[in-house]
Amino acid sequence: MREQHHSRLVFVLALLLALTASAVAVRVGEPAPDFTSVDSNGKSQHLADYKGKYVVLEWHNQGCPYTKKHYESGNMQRLQKEWTAKGVVWFTVISSAPGTQGFVTPTQENDYVKRMGAAPTAVLMDPSGTLGHLYAAKTTPQMFIIDPSGTLIYDGAIDDHPTSDQADIATSKNYVSTALTQALAGKAVTEPATRPYGCSVKYAN
Amino acid sequence: MGTNASRSKNGACCRGTPRLWIFALHSAVVLVLLTAGTAVAQPVQAKHAQVELLSRQSAFTPGRNLLLGVHFVLENGWHIYWINPGDSGQPPVFKWQLPPGFTAGEIQWPRPQRLQSSSQVVDYGYHDEVLLAVPVRVSPTASTSAAAQITLDTKWLICREVCLPDHAQLHLSLPLAASAPSQNAAAATLFAAAAQRMPKPLPATWRTRFNARKDDLILVVETGKPITSGEFFPLDPDQIENASPQRLEPTPAGARITLKKSDLLTKEITRLRGVLVLASGNAYLVEAPVTRP
Repeated sequence: MREQHHSRLVFVLALLLALTASAVAVRVGEPAPDFTSVDSNGKSQHLADYKGKYVVLEWHNQGCPYTKKHYESGNMQRLQKEWTAKGVVWFTVISSAPGTQGFVTPTQENDYVKRMGAAPTAVLMDPSGTLGHLYAAKTTPQMFIIDPSGTLIYDGAIDDHPTSDQADIATSKNYVSTALTQALAGKAVTEPATRPYGCSVKYAN
Repeated sequence: MGTNASRSKNGACCRGTPRLWIFALHSAVVLVLLTAGTAVAQPVQAKHAQVELLSRQSAFTPGRNLLLGVHFVLENGWHIYWINPGDSGQPPVFKWQLPPGFTAGEIQWPRPQRLQSSSQVVDYGYHDEVLLAVPVRVSPTASTSAAAQITLDTKWLICREVCLPDHAQLHLSLPLAASAPSQNAAAATLFAAAAQRMPKPLPATWRTRFNARKDDLILVVETGKPITSGEFFPLDPDQIENASPQRLEPTPAGARITLKKSDLLTKEITRLRGVLVLASGNAYLVEAPVTRP
């Protein structure tokens, strides 16, 4: 009986969470939802603290072939280095639930960052999927850009080649670089929303 | 072996011989069929799947079109993707190497299934097995040398909880037939099943249209009879929210299916293309204008 009650409560809570998540789904041109999340060094990261700066959110799963495409080629690290050098804040976000592909402990993640030569500002650990659902992140990679006023200015794919082949990167148009280049030059982002591609984010069921 | 033993026992030299002959003949016939009519090629073992290049016909004739196909047999729980893969995933890609005078057409995509991996992600694809057929035009002046050597390089993504990119090079040798090529009996069932799953044009008396609302697109289907269940699969990405549940309301003449507009829609769409799958499993191609109130 208790068990049944419990599972019904969990179900109702999950339903509510799902409804809330879809109700507040982010939209380009609107304020980016604020969040506080703990990074792989145990530090609390609060989005509102970065007002005045551009913030990139990169959904990540180190086992996903599409994520591997951009890390094993060095493409993602290049972007992280290029844009953080220009003052952009870069958060890699891991929403894989425990027991799913891409779930890592903070220590494992820090080892990975070091081994891959990755250069995000911080890696946000989101095993509950709270941040993922808040932004309605669907795939890894999926990229978001928030401008200094806190408005979402990009949501979508990393580039225009939805494949897992590294060979395609050379001929791809990188949407993140394009959007940041335009925004930093004071121009409007010409492609503010694209269809993200990759593996599905491994949320808890 | 049994024949030999019984022969020596009975001392009847000639009783076993015809049987041996029949056996030898039979083997020879099988061998000839295997080497000459290689319309049934060897399946390739891939990651969690077997992949095979098949031909509907057992031979080719210049001036007569062929239907080739790739048969994917997937391990339980694994799937590959439709032409519009939905929120994640990637459809298979075919790259043909054909003899001069042969031209491959587009992949004929059977109706997909909805694959829900989370509340936010819905993909479209295939479980268990699927045959992706491709018509091949053979010009009347196509080479008439002995056999057509066909090679297909194919890449695909196969997923369960995790996704694995994979690829294979598949080969098929089709002998030349002077007259009309015969049907390949072994593959016929598979091609027939795939044809059954192909979206058909709407019957002439049916009507479809899309009504635009603020956040929704309503697919109105009129067939003359109430429809109690059905599902719409968009052929183009970025038009509807794949993960949003589709609400079907039967009407006296058909049904209304409410689809949520995609968040990625930056400008209003004027036409929508897709596949409507009814409870019977029958699939229909829908292409209709979007009307605004």
